Amino acid sequence: MTTRNEPGKTYLMQGNEAIVRGALEGGVHFASSYPGSPSSQVLGIMGRIADQMGFYAEWSTNETTALQACMGASFANARSICVVKQNGLLVQSDTIHCGALGGVKGGLVLVTSDDPDAHSSTNEFDSRHMAVSANVPMLEPSSIQETKDMIPYAFELSEKLQQMVILRVTTRICHGRGGVKLGEIPEKKPFKKIGKWDKMLGLNWLHSYLLEKLEWAREEFEDCEFNHFDGKEGAETLIIAGGTGRNYALEALDDLGIEDEVGVLSLGTLWPLPEKLILKHLKKAKRVLIVEEVDPFLEEHISALAGKEKLNIDICGRNDILPKVGELNPDVLIKALREFLGIKEEKPCCSGTCPAAEAVTIPDRELTFCAGCPHRATFFALKQALIKEKNPGVVFGDIGCYVFAAQRAGQFAVQFMSCMGSGISAAGGLGQLTKYGFDQKVVSVCGDSTFFHTVVPGLIAAKMNNANILHIVLDNSATAMTGFQPHPGTGTTCMGQPTDKLSIKAICESLGCRVEIADPFNLQETIDLIFEMNREDGLKILILEQPCATLASKTRAKKKVWVEQELCKGDDCGCSRMCSRVWGCPANIWDFEKGCAAIDEVVCVGCGVCAKVCPQGAIKVEGGDE
Amino acid sequence: MLSFREVERKVVNNDLCTNCGSCQSLCPFWKSSEGRTYAGFDCDRKEGRCKYFCPRMPADLDALRQKFFGADSESGFIPELGPVKGVYLTRAADDSIRKGAQHGGTMTALVKLALEEGFIDAAVLSKAEGTLNPEGVLVTNPADVAKCSGSSFQIPPTNAKLNEALIADEYKKIGLVGTACKTLAAYKMKAKPFAENDNNADNIGMVFGLFCGWGLDWQGMAKLGEAKHVDILPSKFHRMDMDDKQVDLDEVLPLVRENCKYCYDMTAEFADLSVGGARSAEGWDVDKGWNQLIVRSEKGAELVKLAKEKGVLEFRDFGGKGEAGAIEKLVAASKSKRAKAVKAIVEKTGSKDDLTYLTPNKDSFKAYL
Repeated sequence: MTTRNEPGKTYLMQGNEAIVRGALEGGVHFASSYPGSPSSQVLGIMGRIADQMGFYAEWSTNETTALQACMGASFANARSICVVKQNGLLVQSDTIHCGALGGVKGGLVLVTSDDPDAHSSTNEFDSRHMAVSANVPMLEPSSIQETKDMIPYAFELSEKLQQMVILRVTTRICHGRGGVKLGEIPEKKPFKKIGKWDKMLGLNWLHSYLLEKLEWAREEFEDCEFNHFDGKEGAETLIIAGGTGRNYALEALDDLGIEDEVGVLSLGTLWPLPEKLILKHLKKAKRVLIVEEVDPFLEEHISALAGKEKLNIDICGRNDILPKVGELNPDVLIKALREFLGIKEEKPCCSGTCPAAEAVTIPDRELTFCAGCPHRATFFALKQALIKEKNPGVVFGDIGCYVFAAQRAGQFAVQFMSCMGSGISAAGGLGQLTKYGFDQKVVSVCGDSTFFHTVVPGLIAAKMNNANILHIVLDNSATAMTGFQPHPGTGTTCMGQPTDKLSIKAICESLGCRVEIADPFNLQETIDLIFEMNREDGLKILILEQPCATLASKTRAKKKVWVEQELCKGDDCGCSRMCSRVWGCPANIWDFEKGCAAIDEVVCVGCGVCAKVCPQGAIKVEGGDE
Repeated sequence: MLSFREVERKVVNNDLCTNCGSCQSLCPFWKSSEGRTYAGFDCDRKEGRCKYFCPRMPADLDALRQKFFGADSESGFIPELGPVKGVYLTRAADDSIRKGAQHGGTMTALVKLALEEGFIDAAVLSKAEGTLNPEGVLVTNPADVAKCSGSSFQIPPTNAKLNEALIADEYKKIGLVGTACKTLAAYKMKAKPFAENDNNADNIGMVFGLFCGWGLDWQGMAKLGEAKHVDILPSKFHRMDMDDKQVDLDEVLPLVRENCKYCYDMTAEFADLSVGGARSAEGWDVDKGWNQLIVRSEKGAELVKLAKEKGVLEFRDFGGKGEAGAIEKLVAASKSKRAKAVKAIVEKTGSKDDLTYLTPNKDSFKAYL
C-alpha cells in the first residue's frame, strides 16, 4: 500500500509506513539509515521496495556514515532521506553542524525518532535541541497523515533553502496507526552534473549565510499549513502544542467539556519558531499551557519571546505543572488542566464499586534475555571468570540486548555503559591505569553490529596505546535488538543483495593482537579461556559466536530438554534453585506442586545449556541440532 | 542475613578465610581459585552448611572439644595444646617415606598404616606438584599416600574433597589430614549442625592434624618459585629452605596469608593425633628429620600403639627433661602463636570484646587480651 499510486485514496498506515510513503511522494532517490527503535522499520520497508520504486536504500555502518552518504547523493541533486533515532542524531552531531554550514543541493530530509519515556532506548533525549544548535529547520507532525505530508514538503523546503530539514517524530507516531490519504508519486527529478564551481563546504565563512537561511525558513513557517489553531479564538487560556501534544490537548479539553473555551495553537514547525504567529495568539491570552514531548523546549523559547515583547502572562508547561520527565498522555493532560484552570475533580462514575476502578497491581518484572539467548551463557561465564580473580574484574558494556547484563539476567556483570562504542573506549582508558597500580581486570563487551558501528576505532586506540584489556565481541550474527537488520558481517544489503561478509576475526587479527573464538554455550571452556586470556597483558579479543536464539530457533531442530524430576533434589539440594533462580532462563521454571525444577516446553528453544548448570545432572537433553 | 553472605562478610571479606574448602562441594556457589575462596553466585539460603562448617565462623570451641574428647579433666587437656594423651618423638621406619617427607615422615607412615589396617577406608590428603598447584585428593590405596608427602606451604581447599567424598557416601571411614583450620572444620561437621542433613558426617573416620605456623599466599609462593622440598628452620636460622636455595625469612613473611595471622592453633588441637616438626630439649641438630607426635584420642592412641608394635614408626627418647620438657617447648610456641593471633584480631576489630571467631570462647583467651 505504501507503493500504490492512487492519489486521494485513504489507507490505514503505521507512522513508519507513512514516512516511507512520504519519501515516495517526495520523489526520493536515496535512503540511508542505521537501525534504531522506534523508527527501525522505515529502512527495512524501503529496502524491500527500492528496486520496484527505482531508488536506492542502504543500511549504513553507523548514523554518521548514513547521513554523509545522503549528503553525497544530494550533491548530484538527488533527494535523500536519512532515518535515525535520537541517539543516532547525537552520533551525527558533527556532521549536522558542519553539513549545515555547507548546505545541500538535492533535498535532504533527516528523520529523527524520539522516544519519550525511553520505551526502547537508554534515554529520552529531545532532538529539538539539535535543530537550535545547528541552525537547521525542524518539523514535527501531530498525526500519521501529517507525517506523510510533511516529507514532500520538507524536500521542497530543503531545496528552496539549500539546507537539510529535520523531521522529528516520536514513538507514538512511529508505532501508531492512522488513516493516510495518499498523494501522487511523482516522476523523480533528474540528477545534475556537478560543475567546477559547485561546492558543499562546511566552513565558517558561511555562518552568516546559515543564519540567513534560518530567517527565510521562519518567514516560510509564519504561514505554514502544518500550524493549526483549534478552539476559541482570543481565549484567555491558550494551549500551545508541539507535535503529538496537539492530540493530547484536544482530547483532554473534550473530556473536560471546555473545548470551546480554550484556544489551541499547534505548531508543526518547531524551529525556527514562527514568532509573528505565536505572538498574535500570545498577546490575546492571559495564561498559556505548553504541551510538548520531553523537554520544555517550546516553553522556554516562547517564554523568552514573551519576555522580549514584555507580555505579562503566565506560561506553564513541563517546567512546572506537567511532569518533567516521561511521556505525556491525555490523563496527564486532564490532571494538569484541572490544576491549571482550577477545575474540581468530578466524582467517579461508580463510587469505586466497579472492578475497573480498583487498582490492579502488577508485579514488577525485570527485562531479561530470551530463552536460549547466548548472552545468558556469556555473562554467566564472564562473571565466573572475573570473580575468580583476587580483585574481581570489571565489565564495560555497550548498547544492545546485552545491556540487560547490568541486571539479574546477566548476573549484574556489566557495570558501565553509556552509548554505542562506549564499552571498548572506556575500558581502554581504565585499562591504562593497570600500569599505575589499578589492580582489577578490565573487560569490555560489544555486539557484532556495534563492533562495526563504533567499536573499531576504540579497539585501534586500545591497541595503539597498549591498554591491558580483554574485549569480547558477542557475535550473535544479528542486529538483534532492533529486528535483525543486515550489518557488514551478515552478507546481505538493505535491498536484499548478497555482499561480502566482513570477518570480525580478520579485522581483529589485522590489529596484531591475540584473537580467540569460542562458543559461549561451552560454559566451562569459556570461563577458562576468559580467565586465561586475562592473565596476558595488552589487548586481547575474544569472539563468542552463537547465533541469536530468535534466529536460531527458526532453523535449528529443537532439542528436547526436560527435568528428570526424581534426580532433582528440589529445595533439599544445596543449589537453591540454581536453574530457575540463578541461571534464570524463562524456560527454567519451578514446579511448586512437586517441589522441584521443570522446563516450560513452550518457552524452551532447546539450547540445553541449563543442563550444564544443574549440580545433580537432573536436566536432560536429547536430539536436535548443535 | 543470608548464610553465604554472613560467611562472605565475616570471613572472606574480613581476611579470615583460610581456603580450607569446608564450604565447598556442597553447592554450586562456593568455589576456590588460586588459594582464594569466593562465592560465584548468590545463594538465597538463610541457614546453610557453609556457615556452620566454616572454621572461622564463631562457635563454642570449648563445648565442641568436650563433646568429642570428653571432660577436660579426663582428656589430659592442656590449655595451649588441647587434649593430650601422650607426646612422642617419632619418624617413619621406612627411609623411602622419610625421603619425601618434610620432617620424619610420621604422618605418611601413620596414614598408610591406618589404611592398611582398616582404621580408615580412604584418606583425603593434600597433594602438590613440588610446591605448585596444591589440591585435595582422595586416596584409597596405601601405596599412594606417600605421593602426598611433604608440604607445599600453601592451603589448598582439601575439605572440598572431604565434602565431596562424604556426600558420595562410598567410603564410610574417611581419614582427613589437614592443618588446624581443616581439622576444626571436620569436627564442626561431625557435630552435625543440621538435623535434616548430617552431610554423612559419620563417614569421617579419623582426623590427622598437622602442626602449622602459617601458609603462603598462592601468588606469594609463585613469586618464590618452584621447589620439591620446602622447610622452615627453627627461628634462630631465620630462613626457609627451598631445595638447595636458602630464602631469608624477611622475604617470605610478607607473602604469608593474611588469615594465618588470626589463627590461634599451632598444633591442630581438634584431631585424633597431631604431627609436626620435632622440638625437643636436644635442639635442632638432633631433632632434624624427626617428628613430634601428639596423641589426642583413644583411636589415635590405638593407631600409634599398632605403629610401634609393627615397627612402622621409630621412637626416640626426649633426653633432658623428657616428655615434660618437650611439652614445655610446645606450650611456649603455642602461647606465642595464640598471643600474636589475639593481638592481631583485637587490632582488626578494635575491641577486646570482639574476637571474631573466638568470641564465644573469650574467657579461654583472657590471658592474651
